[in-house]
Amino acid sequence: MMLVLTISLVLFTCAIFVALYRIIVGPSMPDRVVALDMIGVNLISLVAVFSIVLHTHAYLEVILIVGILAFISTVGIARFIERGEIVEHEHDD
Amino acid sequence: MKSNDLILQTSTRVVFFIIFLFSIHIFFAGHYTPGGGFVGGLLMASAIVLLLLAYDFKTVKEVLPFNYLGMTAIGMLIALTTAAGSLVFNVPFFTHWYDYFDFPLLGKTSIHTAMFFDIGVYLVVVGITLTIIEMIGGDS
Amino acid sequence: MKLINLVVLPIIVPLFIGTVLLLFRKSLLAQRALGLFGAAATLVVSLFLLAKVAEDGIQVVTLGSWAAPYGISLVSDMLSILLVATASLLTLLVLWYSVYSLGEKRELSFFYPATLFMLTGINGAFTTGDIFNLFVFFEVFLMASYVLIALGGERIQLRESMKYIIVNVVAAALFVITIGYLYSITGTLNMADLAVKLGDIGSMGVISTVAIMFLVVFGIKAGIFPLYFWLPGSYYAPPLPVLALFGALLTKVGIYSITRVYTLIFTTDVAFTHDMLMMLAIATILFGSIGALAYMDVKKIIIYNIVIAVGVILFGVAAFNEVAVTGSVLYLIHDMLVKALLFLMIGVLIFITGKTNLREMGGLIRHYPVLGWTYLVAVFALAGIPPLSGFAGKILILQGGLEGGFVWQSIVVALSTMVVLLSAIRIFIYAFWGAEKSFNSPPKAKYVNRMIPVVILFVITMGYGVFIEFLMPLFQATGTQLMDSSLYIDAVLGGEK
Repeated sequence: MMLVLTISLVLFTCAIFVALYRIIVGPSMPDRVVALDMIGVNLISLVAVFSIVLHTHAYLEVILIVGILAFISTVGIARFIERGEIVEHEHDD
Repeated sequence: MKSNDLILQTSTRVVFFIIFLFSIHIFFAGHYTPGGGFVGGLLMASAIVLLLLAYDFKTVKEVLPFNYLGMTAIGMLIALTTAAGSLVFNVPFFTHWYDYFDFPLLGKTSIHTAMFFDIGVYLVVVGITLTIIEMIGGDS
Repeated sequence: MKLINLVVLPIIVPLFIGTVLLLFRKSLLAQRALGLFGAAATLVVSLFLLAKVAEDGIQVVTLGSWAAPYGISLVSDMLSILLVATASLLTLLVLWYSVYSLGEKRELSFFYPATLFMLTGINGAFTTGDIFNLFVFFEVFLMASYVLIALGGERIQLRESMKYIIVNVVAAALFVITIGYLYSITGTLNMADLAVKLGDIGSMGVISTVAIMFLVVFGIKAGIFPLYFWLPGSYYAPPLPVLALFGALLTKVGIYSITRVYTLIFTTDVAFTHDMLMMLAIATILFGSIGALAYMDVKKIIIYNIVIAVGVILFGVAAFNEVAVTGSVLYLIHDMLVKALLFLMIGVLIFITGKTNLREMGGLIRHYPVLGWTYLVAVFALAGIPPLSGFAGKILILQGGLEGGFVWQSIVVALSTMVVLLSAIRIFIYAFWGAEKSFNSPPKAKYVNRMIPVVILFVITMGYGVFIEFLMPLFQATGTQLMDSSLYIDAVLGGEK
């Protein structure tokens, strides 16, 4: 059991580094946004596996918070790429 | 440009309340476990940011007609007044106090002066975050 | 009943009233009235605390009732309460002055709350007995000062505020790193506890390094050589009441912090650390003198005089004997008063002429005799001509310096008096004497309004010089407390039940 968990932790960490590579290299903005979101997902999984390893549920709230922040930031950046502004002053439809 | 935010707006209507409730949960959880006014306030602020993303300044202002600067000031006053309670009881500043009470529905609960201080922190964090966002993103 | 929390009040009162002011941001009347009331209330509580400290010795509050080395202590000894009282007094007078001079638009852009928050941070920094808490209060007044320096948003202000913010953010980062080093060596952040622990460890290379790092961090705030590079530019930008506040208060927090850590904490390797401070102090005096003589701009001249005074005060601290340190404290308070006074006078001068360059002024003495003659006397006080306020401090600093065997350094300090006199008297000669040149000749009523707080501050400053004999017991107590760190340590650690 422990072995599986350890291997998964290592793999998630590798995945974060792969995503980090994508963020640095790019080449386009959407690539980076997707990679950023991927880091968020991997972080969530890491924390989940970690709380299994440590037999605690103290970290479960972290999962929710990271999830919320990753969601909002992805939406925000996506809007910026599409419209050029993050928050509109007034809707134009 | 014609915008079509149907999916975002629909999901925001649900997600906003989930985040809001979660922020309240984190706020009260901060009593004995990690959490508290600061994190709770940030979550609340991020919920409102989500609303801003899905809609716009004007709509959000209609839905939540708060003066965020005033909110900051009131939060600070609550926190300070709580702390200043120690002046009345003549104990060192910031000294806290708690007791247990029986409430309907909730049962036996502890009330702690640090909680009132934290309510102030919560309001300050929400207020100042949104003041900054309004100032940067809003009118020039 | 024994009031435990008196020490906290000079910090809490301006914070509370500043917060209330945020609620009335549109009402000019409320801003002015509450702003002045806040500063006045702070002054009253700090004078009350001053009387208490003078009577009963060092006052300590341990926040949240957590015992001393673990919780944060607020400590009010003579040095800190004297500075708190002076800072509150100056804030009150400068706020009064700015009611007449700042202009409605700037007054409504959070001027009064920001000033009160800055007073909160400054009073807190003077009072706290915990070195990390000192960092927190530094940040509090820096945040407020960022608002004040950009107040009004002119082009030069935005450029200089950017520089100011970057310098201070870097300094803040360095501050935290330094505190981290110190904590990793000693395992404590309470200043009294630090003094005990470092005293046990004794002289050690790492500790001297940390001491010098603190000197760099506080030196950036205080404007010692070679870290004063940002000071003349940044202080030049904001409107004059703000400049008066900055010049009179902000650099003094840096000086206070150096004084505190170099008299309380880092006293184990005096030969190295205090010699370093001595050299820097002398260099500060020299470079400040060059600056003060080089410029023809009235604001710049007085700004470089700040730098000279920083050097003189730190010379006294570095000489590290009771006479010199007492003199430093005397001179520190004098410098706060007289710098605020000079800046306000320069403000009136610029208001009258509409210019800042000396060459374009002249012949004002016939029209504005009160301003002219009070300015002349203030300059004499700045230079330390007896019986005015700079004299007692400077003579004690020199006496202490000679006692410590710093002969040529003392001569430099004495000669700097000449430079100060020369640079500041030039303003008098150019602006008040000479051929009459064109000026704005603004309405008499506005001039009189501005002169009221200036004259009050003038009278206080003169009183501080002439009646220094009656205040001497306070300053002697300050010197004793600073040189005998066991008084401070016992008050914080030993006095607990």
